[in-house]
Amino acid sequence: MGEVIVITSGKGGVGKTTTTANIGTGLALEGKSVVLLDADIGLRNLDVVMGLENRIVYDLVDVVEKTCRLKQGLIKDKRFPNLFLMPAAQTKDKSAVTPEQMMELTKNLAEEFEYVLVDSPAGIEQGFKNAIAGASRSIVVTTPEVSAVRDADRIIGLLEANDLKNPQLLINRIKLEMVKRGDMMNIDDIVDILAIDLLGVVPDDEQIVISTNRGEPAIVDDRSLAGQAYRNIVKRILGDNIPFMSLDTDEGLITKIARVFGFVRK
Amino acid sequence: MAKNEIVFKGTKDGLHILLKGDSSFEEFKNMLDEKIRPSKRFFEGAKIIGFSGKSIREEEYLELKSIIENQYGMEVIGDYNTLNVSNSYDIEEKSKKYNEILETRNSVEEKGLFIRGTIRSGQFIKFNGNITIIGDVNPGAYLEAKSSIIVMGIMRGTAHAGSDGNYDSYIAAFRLEPMQLRIGDIIARSPDGGPYKSGVPEIAVVKRGMIIVEPY
Repeated sequence: MGEVIVITSGKGGVGKTTTTANIGTGLALEGKSVVLLDADIGLRNLDVVMGLENRIVYDLVDVVEKTCRLKQGLIKDKRFPNLFLMPAAQTKDKSAVTPEQMMELTKNLAEEFEYVLVDSPAGIEQGFKNAIAGASRSIVVTTPEVSAVRDADRIIGLLEANDLKNPQLLINRIKLEMVKRGDMMNIDDIVDILAIDLLGVVPDDEQIVISTNRGEPAIVDDRSLAGQAYRNIVKRILGDNIPFMSLDTDEGLITKIARVFGFVRK
Repeated sequence: MAKNEIVFKGTKDGLHILLKGDSSFEEFKNMLDEKIRPSKRFFEGAKIIGFSGKSIREEEYLELKSIIENQYGMEVIGDYNTLNVSNSYDIEEKSKKYNEILETRNSVEEKGLFIRGTIRSGQFIKFNGNITIIGDVNPGAYLEAKSSIIVMGIMRGTAHAGSDGNYDSYIAAFRLEPMQLRIGDIIARSPDGGPYKSGVPEIAVVKRGMIIVEPY
């Protein structure tokens, strides 16, 4: 029986879909069998980020409504044979499925795969309730902005109210330079407010935009700083104890990048 | 006349007057006057929490009380039944009893709600009594109590104490950095440009119709 992990944030645009794509690909890189489930019905993106848009025949709603079999709704990834995507429907909306149907779907997928990653839509309504319905574990994505942290806080409250204890925090798009100047919320501030375990910090990286547009997750790119951060996060999800990147450094860029991964934060 | 037939005993709650010996009530009155009048300013504002030693009658007690309050500017706490007179010299025991009475002057007897954990954005806690949070209250969270609110952590949200109009309610926190505080129907908001951070435990109370935040 696999693990169902929901990736959520409350606020839109903080990087849920990018995170789902990268963590999913990372888990596949580690040899795990993984399925990515796009729960953002009506605004599907995960297929685009994965570069699999042109392969879609059936979608999540078709599977739930039993228009097709479970296997038919799955798209095999271009690069990894052990990575699959179940895309959202684009012509329907969130009310097309119920939390009960999602629970059954994730349960069926968890029997086939080691990891089921659910990409949650923004918001706290039906779509969010669908996304968390079958999950046993949750990752909350936020950026170092007051509004994103506020929404993450709300989401953590809702997750805990729905018996998803111990959500883990992923802070996305940290700008090293801005944090150093004191212009950006730092990691300690965010962790202090949200009071949950930190899964990882992903630095802001232009490479992400490039790879997202190309449909190739940054995690496979060895040169990408964000990719490195995602590789660390994947190892932490698998239970390894990987030290956090240090951000408080005054070194030049090259030494910083070279040394940045070797530190324990506290 | 032996002046030491009247003895003042100080306790942390106020002065206790001990009437020693067998002098008459009139003599005691004179002795008291002799003792207090020369240092009237020293005694002004002092609290008398009781008499002991020679037993006095209620009329005498009231007379003493009126003299002490009107002529000397001191305050006598309580009334004849609760405070006055025993023949015992055991002030210790007496003042213990008064302590109990005194404490209720600053205390609220209400039901209490204790919550351990972080109160997050969108969470609304309403309770018909006192609320105590052992943990932080985050921005966007809302607490409403009929009586007072204590946050043993960082108070960053909105709190409404004395929701049925009780201005004696208060809001206290280890760190009081709220969005907004309300006591009764009075509303105070944090200064623009982010909450002020004092770094010490503080309490918000109502004084002269305004919410005042001060260290406690």
